[in-house]
Amino acid sequence: MPDPKKKIEALIRALEELRLHVARKDLFIGDRRINSQLYFSIANACLRNRALLLYGGMGANKTTLINLLGSSFLSLPFSEVEDRMVTGHPEQTEEKMVGFLDPRQWMREEGGACTVLWTPWSKSRWKLINEVNRFPGGKQNLFLEILKKRKISYSGQVNEPGDTCYYLTMNPEFSATYPLDEALLDRISACVPAFQPDFLAGLALSEREREVWELAGELPGFTPQEFDSLPGLVAGKRLDPQVELAVLCLVRDFTLCERAPSYDKTQLSSARPSRGLCAGCHYSGNPEAICWQVDEGLSDRVRQDLRSFCRAIAYLLDREADLEVLKAVAPYVIWHRINPVRSIIDRPPYYGARKLAFVAELVEKSINRTMNERMDMNLIFSRAVDGARSISGAIEELSIFDDPIARLDFIPSLEEMR
Amino acid sequence: MRLTRLVDDAYRGLNRGRRLKSQEGDPIFSLDDLAERVGCRPSRAEVEELLPPDPGTLERLLMSGPGRGYQIIWGHLSSIAAERSPEPLRLPARDYAGLGLSRGGIILEGEGESVDHVGERMSGGRIYLHQGAGDYLGQEMTGGGVITASVGNYAFRRMGGGWGVIRGEGGNFLALGSSGGRVVCQGGCGERAGWLMSGGSLRIHGDAGDYLGLLMKGGRITIFGRAGRRAGWRMKGGTIRGREFGPEAADGVLGLD
Repeated sequence: MPDPKKKIEALIRALEELRLHVARKDLFIGDRRINSQLYFSIANACLRNRALLLYGGMGANKTTLINLLGSSFLSLPFSEVEDRMVTGHPEQTEEKMVGFLDPRQWMREEGGACTVLWTPWSKSRWKLINEVNRFPGGKQNLFLEILKKRKISYSGQVNEPGDTCYYLTMNPEFSATYPLDEALLDRISACVPAFQPDFLAGLALSEREREVWELAGELPGFTPQEFDSLPGLVAGKRLDPQVELAVLCLVRDFTLCERAPSYDKTQLSSARPSRGLCAGCHYSGNPEAICWQVDEGLSDRVRQDLRSFCRAIAYLLDREADLEVLKAVAPYVIWHRINPVRSIIDRPPYYGARKLAFVAELVEKSINRTMNERMDMNLIFSRAVDGARSISGAIEELSIFDDPIARLDFIPSLEEMR
Repeated sequence: MRLTRLVDDAYRGLNRGRRLKSQEGDPIFSLDDLAERVGCRPSRAEVEELLPPDPGTLERLLMSGPGRGYQIIWGHLSSIAAERSPEPLRLPARDYAGLGLSRGGIILEGEGESVDHVGERMSGGRIYLHQGAGDYLGQEMTGGGVITASVGNYAFRRMGGGWGVIRGEGGNFLALGSSGGRVVCQGGCGERAGWLMSGGSLRIHGDAGDYLGLLMKGGRITIFGRAGRRAGWRMKGGTIRGREFGPEAADGVLGLD
């Protein structure tokens, strides 16, 4: 079997040469510049049971790109992939999207198990939920059960398409859109902004003379074996120990809160940093602490998604999954799940509009602090956990660290072990 | 996986660095640095909490230009410095000077563009402007006093106490919505002076524009020059006394004895 990575590189080249995706290279990883929309979309195709959200204005090549990739990775005609997606609107129902009871079974004389007619979308291993924020809030709940799962159930019957690639698209808030539920956002592994073509991209697109569906046939197609081999190849990518440690600290930096139950900010509902929770707190106003700068904590799904996407991007770029990769990937995994405190995000250089840049700065701060300032406390804690030193002594030494992780996570853990 | 091994691998070859420091006692290098910690529109308490006690830092921050981004921070700093100083403080005239001032004195010097929001929310102390003030002088002040050569619009808006002396001309909407305090304008003023006033006193030595005391509910307005048209229009309380009123003045306006 030929190396699928060669085919992925050919696919990226073909998308550009055929003018099917021409966009600015907006993401820097080490010395490489790549287009985040394209690479995250392909990275998601290399993973299974993760969900990627493309967020952007109309006509930014979100839906078409995902369908083109689906056509290539599944080796299906473009129109067939298009037929498999579901699109959000208030009249959309579970029966239209997932499946419905076969009415013919009521005419049969013999009994038997209930039969469900599954839709092409529910049977597909490439699921695109288009315009997800045009589903009303209640209907969004349907996706809580479906996203990232290997099977779908309806009326007591179960459909098991197997490991699946999930994609979603959405526009910014318009008159007919609905806010996305936080629980749904948390199930979305990464969110990537899709921008309008710039001047040169517009020029390149105007040179495209054939229709998208015609050109899609010229993209390299993956065999089922190649497509199925991708998750294994990505999983074979080893994460640098620095990345493992930085991921753990990053998630805790966002989640720990001195005033939340069990120091867990995900427990909060009405009380939040933006509503005065942090007034007078020791960490409030300290730019090195992240806890007071965002309202929400991060769930453990973030840790899983960070590890998966770091591996996938490192695989695509044929490099180590190191801190450079984590710094590039983490903002896209986190920014849609949190809301920064308005008094910070509203001021320059963010102007209330550059949330991704703000989250990238928080990520950078957290990772830099873990690598530059947390060595002592991490060494003390790890040795105490592994029994290489006394727990009481470790607690005493950790108590002088003015770090949320040391005070709110390490010390309580060691006290439980004592 | 043993945790020690993971942590050792992660830090292999790296030097031990500093720990996360508490903000208390951290040096502040510039207004930029301070703004990064407290934001551009902080409260007085937030600024005061971070400010080290040494006078050198305060002096250095006050002498640096706030630009358009850090005017409020500079305003708080000017008040803190004036309150700590045993003598009146001489400062370059800038927007928001004396913001929330509670005691002490500030003398604002310098020619150029008029400065806005001077003495806003002050509760005590004195501010003296050599030059004319811009808009919103003494807005929401509850105590203290301001002396200025002239003012722009909205001077002493929603004033609750204290006093103000305008040695020259006043702009429009003087003492708009004020509920207390005393304002003396030694020149004339624009239209709608004392609009929605509910308390306090306003004395105008020159002429006033139209709609003097429009919709006023309380307080006293005295005008020694000529009031424009419709003085006291729809007033519900308070008194307006004057030597000469323009056409359509309300029935309730009084002459000077």
